[in-house]
Amino acid sequence: MAKISKEDVLKIAHISHITIHDNEVDALVDRLEHVLSYAARVQEIGADVKVHSMKNVNVLREDVAVPFDAQLILARAPESQEHYFVVPAILDSNK
Amino acid sequence: MNNLAFATIKDLRTKLDNKEISAKELAQFFTQRFADHDSTIQSALEIFQVDSVLNASEQKGTLYGIPGLIKDNISQQDRGLTCASKILQNFTAVYDATATARLKQEGALLLGRANMDEFAMGSSGETSAYQITKNPWDTTRVPGGSSSGSAAAVAAGLVPWTLGTDTGGSVRQPAAFCNLVGIKPTYGLVSRYGIVAYGSSLDQIGVMTRTVYDNALVLSVIAGHDPKDSSSLAVAKKDYTASLDGKIPTGLRIGIVENALYADGMDNEVITAIEQAVKVLEGLGATIKRIKLPALDYSAATYFIISRAEAASNLARFDGVRYGLRDKNSASLHDMYFNTRHDGFGAEVRTRILIGNYVLSAGYADAYYENAKKVQHIMTQEFLDAYKEVDLVIMPTAPCAAFKFGAFAQDKLQMDLQDYFTCAANLTGMPAIGIPCGMTSEQLPIGLQLYGKHLSEELIYKVAHAYQEATAWHTMHAQI
Repeated sequence: MAKISKEDVLKIAHISHITIHDNEVDALVDRLEHVLSYAARVQEIGADVKVHSMKNVNVLREDVAVPFDAQLILARAPESQEHYFVVPAILDSNK
Repeated sequence: MNNLAFATIKDLRTKLDNKEISAKELAQFFTQRFADHDSTIQSALEIFQVDSVLNASEQKGTLYGIPGLIKDNISQQDRGLTCASKILQNFTAVYDATATARLKQEGALLLGRANMDEFAMGSSGETSAYQITKNPWDTTRVPGGSSSGSAAAVAAGLVPWTLGTDTGGSVRQPAAFCNLVGIKPTYGLVSRYGIVAYGSSLDQIGVMTRTVYDNALVLSVIAGHDPKDSSSLAVAKKDYTASLDGKIPTGLRIGIVENALYADGMDNEVITAIEQAVKVLEGLGATIKRIKLPALDYSAATYFIISRAEAASNLARFDGVRYGLRDKNSASLHDMYFNTRHDGFGAEVRTRILIGNYVLSAGYADAYYENAKKVQHIMTQEFLDAYKEVDLVIMPTAPCAAFKFGAFAQDKLQMDLQDYFTCAANLTGMPAIGIPCGMTSEQLPIGLQLYGKHLSEELIYKVAHAYQEATAWHTMHAQI
C-alpha cells in the first residue's frame, strides 16, 4: 500500500497550482493511496527489465509565421488591454 | 418520418440522392428529435440553429446532408468548446479541428456539441459539470464514458453518427454500453489538431455509429495525414468501405486472449456473449487460437500513470490568464491561479492532476512513470509478437454491461478499471473496434472488441462488417 500523507497531498497540490480545502484533504489522501497502490504493480515487471522506456521523439518542421488576428485570442481572455493579457498583481507592494 | 430516427447513413444517403428528402429536412427532423427526447437523455450540451448548421458545411460531398454530433472537446469554429468543464464555460473555439473541417468539406451537418465526462476523464459520464447523460437502454444506468453524450445520442436515434475521443477506451466502452460500433483508430491516423488534449500520446478521435459500414464511411472522411499534427502519420486518404463485402479473408486467424476473457471480475453474461461471437466468427471461416498477453494485466496501471502524467502537464494551461474562468476575488496572481483551478475543475479532474504530478515528481518518477513507460514497451512487443501468430485479437470491451448511476461512488478504483480491456490499444497505438455482440438478461447491450496491428483498420472493418452481416445485435435499438 502506497503511504500518502496529508503533507504529500498538500505538496503536490502546491506543485499543481490548485487550492485544496481542509475538508477535501482526507478524501484525496484515500484516493491517491488507492490508485498509487494499484499503479505500483508496474514495478513488478518494469523494474527488472532492461528495455529503454518508450520516449517520444520530436517531429520537426520549418518554423513559418502565419498571421493571426490577435484580437480573436484576446477577446477570449478574462481581462485584456490593448495587446496584453491583464493579471492580478504579481508582487505585493506592501512587502 | 419516424423510421428515419434509426436509419443508417447509408439509407439516408439513398433517400437524399433519390430526392425523397432534403438536407434541410433531415437537419430539421433530427433537431426536432433532440427537442423531443433530449430533455430525458441529456446527450447534447447545445443544439445549434438549423440555418447556421446548413451554412457551415459544403452543399456536396460524401456526408452531404447527414447530421451528426461532435464531442465537446473537438473544436468547431465560433461554437462553444467546454470539455463539459466550468473552467471553459464561456469559451468559443477559434478555429475548426482538422476532423471538423474535413466533415464540413464533405457536407456533414454538425448539429451540436455532445456532453462528456469533464476533460474526457471518466467512464460513466458522471463527471460532466453541466448535466448527466442517461443510457437510452435504461435511463437509471450510465451510458459509459467519457464520450457519454456521443454514445447516447446515436443510441437514442437523435443522430446517425457522432465523434468521440478515445484516450483509454472513451469511445469503445460507451459504444458497448449503448449497443454501438465505436472505433479507436491507429494513433496518428486521425489528426489531433483542434482537440483539447488529455493524454497527448494516447488521444485519438473515434467514430460512433450503429453499423460498421457507417463507421468506416465517417472515418474515411476524417482520416489521413495532417501537417498541423506532428504525430500524424504519412497515410493517404482511402475509402474504408471499399473492402466491406460481408466475407472474412481466407485463412484469417483470430486470437482469444485467455487472461483477458477469464480475468477476475468478469460478468458471466459477457463471457458467454464473447464465446458465442467467437463461434460466429469460426462459422464465417476464421481459425481461432488461444493466446496469452501477460502484460495486459498491467495495462490499467500503466494507463493510469501515463494518462494522468500527461493530463497534469496538458491541463497546466488552464490558469485563468488567457481564456476561460478566472477567480475575480484573488488579490495576487498566485492566489488567482490556485483558486481558479480549484473552482474551475471538478473533483475528478483535480484528483487526476494531482496523481499525474505525483508520478512525475522527484523521488517517484522512476518508480511510477519510468516503469510505466517500460511496461508500455513490453506490452507493445507482446502484441507485435502475437500478430505473428494471429491477424486479429478478440476481447471484451468492458467487464460488465452498463451500471447504475453512483455504482462506484465509494470505490473509484473499480470505476477506473473499466479501462482494463480498452487502454492497451491506446498504450500500443494500435487500432481497436467495439461492436455489439449480445444482450444481458436485463436487455442491456454487451460489446466485443477486435484489436489489430497498426493501420489494420481495413481488416478490422472487414471482419466486423462480416460479423454484423451474420448477426442482428446491431439492429436492436433502445425504445425511445
